[in-house]
Amino acid sequence: MRFELSDDQQLLRSSTRDFFTKAAPLEQSRRTMEQDARGFEAPQWRQLAEMGYVGLVVPADHGGQGLGAVELAVVAEEAGRVCLPGPWLDAVLGAALLAASGGQEELLRQACEGHKVVTIARADAPFAGAAEPAARVEKGRLRGTKYFVPFAVASDALCVATPAGIVLVSAPFDVTPTPTIDLAQRFATVTFDHAATLLGPATLFEGVDRLAAVGSAAMLLGIMQRCLEMTLAYVNTRAAFNRPIGAFQALQHRLANMLLRVESTRSAVYRAAWCVDAGDADAPLACATAKAYAGDAARLVCGETIQMHGGIGFTWELDVHLFFKRAKTLEQFYGSTEEQLERALEAAGYTER
Amino acid sequence: MDLNLTPEALAFRDELRAWLGTNLDRPWREGLRDPGATEDSLVELRRAWQRKLYQAGYLGMGWPPEWGGRGATEVEKAIFEAELAAADAPPILNILGIGLLGPALIHHGSEAQRRRFIPPMLSGDEIWCQGFSEPGAGSDLASLKTAAVLDGDHFVVNGQKVWTTFGPWADWIFVLCRTDPKDRYGGISFVLCKLDTPGITVRPLRQITGESEFGEVFFEDARVPKENLVGKIGEGWRIAMTVLAYERGASSLAYSQRFARDLRLLALALAERGRLIGSGREKVARLLVENEVMRANGVRMLATFAEGKAPGTESSLEKIFWSEFDQRFRETAIDLLGPGGQLLRSSPGARPDVDWAREFLWSRAGTIYSGSSEVQRNIVAKRVLGLPQT
Repeated sequence: MRFELSDDQQLLRSSTRDFFTKAAPLEQSRRTMEQDARGFEAPQWRQLAEMGYVGLVVPADHGGQGLGAVELAVVAEEAGRVCLPGPWLDAVLGAALLAASGGQEELLRQACEGHKVVTIARADAPFAGAAEPAARVEKGRLRGTKYFVPFAVASDALCVATPAGIVLVSAPFDVTPTPTIDLAQRFATVTFDHAATLLGPATLFEGVDRLAAVGSAAMLLGIMQRCLEMTLAYVNTRAAFNRPIGAFQALQHRLANMLLRVESTRSAVYRAAWCVDAGDADAPLACATAKAYAGDAARLVCGETIQMHGGIGFTWELDVHLFFKRAKTLEQFYGSTEEQLERALEAAGYTER
Repeated sequence: MDLNLTPEALAFRDELRAWLGTNLDRPWREGLRDPGATEDSLVELRRAWQRKLYQAGYLGMGWPPEWGGRGATEVEKAIFEAELAAADAPPILNILGIGLLGPALIHHGSEAQRRRFIPPMLSGDEIWCQGFSEPGAGSDLASLKTAAVLDGDHFVVNGQKVWTTFGPWADWIFVLCRTDPKDRYGGISFVLCKLDTPGITVRPLRQITGESEFGEVFFEDARVPKENLVGKIGEGWRIAMTVLAYERGASSLAYSQRFARDLRLLALALAERGRLIGSGREKVARLLVENEVMRANGVRMLATFAEGKAPGTESSLEKIFWSEFDQRFRETAIDLLGPGGQLLRSSPGARPDVDWAREFLWSRAGTIYSGSSEVQRNIVAKRVLGLPQT
């Protein structure tokens, strides 16, 4: 029995941290976030793909790395630590969906190599409570609208959820960017009138959704860990009333709460990832748990990070808001807290209504 | 990563499950609800249960073989706790003796003390209580004043202990006494006192549940034989602190088992009435998620033990988590059940599944005893986060 990562996984962690430190320093990421309409830079994207990060969980004979959910969590945590801008997680999930569907070998290979960007379009409405599917397949064509499509502006193909199953459509797309608070993400409304290829039934999402939960929760973990580190550094240096503000119990107890959330998220995320890889019966409950808890925990930790930094914490200049905003997006997407809670109830057998 | 139990640990768990299947007559919950049950009869029920565990070799499992141990690993001890919780077995009566004093005697006591005290402690023939807190020394335990002054072959003990769990039923008490008023930590000694010693009076204290599971103990010129000193004079604080570390097993797993059982019963109770909907449904789901996070913390702790690492300050985080979750859970349960959740177990109409009212009241204790949530957060802030002194 061992909670620690294996030697290979630890190597992946350290090499990923080195890579992101060099390839995605926050100073550079901020320029991308603030100025690049596509939300990522092509050279960095190719590097990411060359390192194998895009095809991370795609089987090796389909052009991927053939790694599991634990490795996904390791990389996602590091991506969270640097608030990585761009479609990495969306593309990982797009590739995982293509791999699960089979039959799109060439596109999958190009996606893993970084030559094509493939993401997933699911939302039927911009606000909660969609009554009707907003995009349908009729006579082999996809017609209608999807909202909050990740990185649609840069996508070469989209996997689209419809009542008839999941279909694949190819660029060009009619894209209306819809900027949100999260500077690391790019969303758009996409209106379709495209020839559609059926990828498979909606049940293909089951495995992908677990990876989405693990990946996004791990990214939230990295965000939280980084925020806690920034806050600790700040309260140890910032002085008020002739002492570092970290000496005040009012802050100490709240910092202890932050650590409690971070470490509990770590337990939940890596246990969920392990359950997925081990095919453990607890996997559905563990994945829903990790994502639902991480979303709440990150909101608290990032919020406290702003609060403890005081006025400077509310400025655009300080990096803290990038993490705060990214956390909110991760919380609401990749299976929102509301969805995860329902999945948890179902997985635990609390299905009576 | 590998979160599977080893074949040895699995074998231990299965053997224990089988043993519980044949030896646990009925869940503790049912013992508690028995209309004929009194506080005294419940103590005897727990004593009988402890004896069974002792005879089967399940107590003091991690101790050296001559003291009943079987060289059990920390993993097996945590599995033991979790399985007993899952089976809803009665809590072990002499938990303070076995959990705290036993390790103190094994590591710091004399051979004569071990021979004298350990067997009846394990068998439940002598029940121990813990004399640490005082009216003027709670979170700031080292400010304790109960004095032990050497007079020939005896200590003369004067002072008062309070919040003494099991005091009303105990035969013995282990007491932190002040032997040097000028030395805050080095002036404390660890002394064993028989509660029927002249000059010692135990008074039950009624708790908010109406029970008197704790009490206060008064010492007025009580003469205690010198050989009842554990370790040397002035070693009491060090012994107490090392012993408290043994209390810190992987308790998250055991708590999550217990909470999961009660949470399932709550969900069933709500579903029966068509109330597992809307905001109630969301509240149950959030409790479920938090409890599963606790389970993940417990599994992680178990794996940490399995790698041969000692529990460190994680135990502070663990205690904050389960005790505060307990409160949220019990409060929410009563809210969702409606007024019927407040019914005392003696009341007509009280739910037969869980004594929700008692659990609600009891949940207020967990954030106070064994180091309050405030003290635990101080520990985390200082020792884990390395924050400056206030």
